[in-house]
Amino acid sequence: MQNLQVAPVSRSRIISNMPKPYTPEACHQYQTQFDAEVQTVCQQRNAGAIGLKMSKAVMVGDLYVGKTSLINRFCKNVFDRDYKATIGVDFEIERFEILGIPFNFQIWDTAGQEKFKCIASAYYRGAQVIITAFDLGDISTLENTRRWVQDALKENEPDTCSIFLVGTKKDTLSEAELERTEQDAVRLAIDLQAEYWSVSAKTGENVKEFFFRVASLAFEQSMKKELEKNRGNTAQIGVGNLIQLDGNSSDKRENETQLNMNCC
Amino acid sequence: METEQDEVAQDELGPEIALDKDPFQLTVEDVYDISHIVGQDLLKISREARGVSSLVSDLQFKIVRVLEMLEALVNQSSLSAEELKMERDNLKAEVERLLKDGPQMGVGPDKMVIDLTDPNRPRFTLQELRDVLQERNKLKVKLLVAQDELQCYKSGIIPSPDDQIVTLENESMITCSPRENESKEKSTVKSLFSFKQGKQT
Repeated sequence: MQNLQVAPVSRSRIISNMPKPYTPEACHQYQTQFDAEVQTVCQQRNAGAIGLKMSKAVMVGDLYVGKTSLINRFCKNVFDRDYKATIGVDFEIERFEILGIPFNFQIWDTAGQEKFKCIASAYYRGAQVIITAFDLGDISTLENTRRWVQDALKENEPDTCSIFLVGTKKDTLSEAELERTEQDAVRLAIDLQAEYWSVSAKTGENVKEFFFRVASLAFEQSMKKELEKNRGNTAQIGVGNLIQLDGNSSDKRENETQLNMNCC
Repeated sequence: METEQDEVAQDELGPEIALDKDPFQLTVEDVYDISHIVGQDLLKISREARGVSSLVSDLQFKIVRVLEMLEALVNQSSLSAEELKMERDNLKAEVERLLKDGPQMGVGPDKMVIDLTDPNRPRFTLQELRDVLQERNKLKVKLLVAQDELQCYKSGIIPSPDDQIVTLENESMITCSPRENESKEKSTVKSLFSFKQGKQT
């Protein structure tokens, strides 16, 4: 285990408390702390073997709502005023440290243009998180999120995805306009069992908060799932299916956690 | 009486026009007019010179035969003209219909016309785009791995750069082994994001 090559996680990507939701009206949970059991497991793990966890998120939604801009603001802290349509699909990998555990978060950015749908949809599968984006200033893009979510859910096992509905370009709306649109959006979010957020990639408002929330919930979710899987097998809790960074478990890594991009 | 004479005069003038006509404008009615005129003339001749009536009747048979030939020819040519007119009208209608259908003229439904002189015309297939994207994804992962490793060197996690051998093998394995092969360690990102070659279903 010596000479393990793990570049340290950036200090700005360390999470130790559960980030708050945007609105209590449409959120996945209200707790201000991570699940107690998960916290305990993470502490145990910290003392022992180094585990590494990962989750996959896909970003879907109409063209020109700002999916790529949102990701670029979070991952690169940049905002490009010029519109450049995404060709097919792109991805970013953000490395977090949550409750002391390294957590790799893949964010898949898909093209909104209809003609790329047959390419992008092949990348929906295996997603733990579906982020569906719409333009707060264009109500038709909100209506279309329902279809985007349906398409993304179709490619995944039932009850394996958590959904986030995110309204973009918050900076372009007045307070009153925002309030009106958010009412509609929250209603749809409840209907879709999604958590709702309003953000602006241009000003950066709520962008970091949003992705921290998404990553934290995804992390907690996958830890809980793992605990569930190992229940009744107490000796394994905390070691179980975590990836061990030694040579012996490489087969396991291959089978269980490798990212597959040759999917289409 | 005067009007009756005028009518007779006109009647007699009328058929004469047929003889002044362009032969290609001749109708079968004109041929009958000509036949009438010639018949009247032959009648006059046989009335005035009684001795030639048998000669005139011989001539009459020959003239009738010629007129029958003319009748057949005129009938035939007017029929051909009619056919050509109909064909022209049909073609006109066809052109109008095609023009109304717009730019897809001459192309079936669900087909697209590609302007081969357009330098920005569509060229590549969906599969080619998929392949390119996959290749890009792989390269991006390699870049992330390389950045990760660079970070390791920079932050001193890997102690002495002089002892390190960084090799790129089999297009996806990046190994960094200070001494032995057995201590080959993939970087964290590498181990998580290297790509399988197989197709997942």
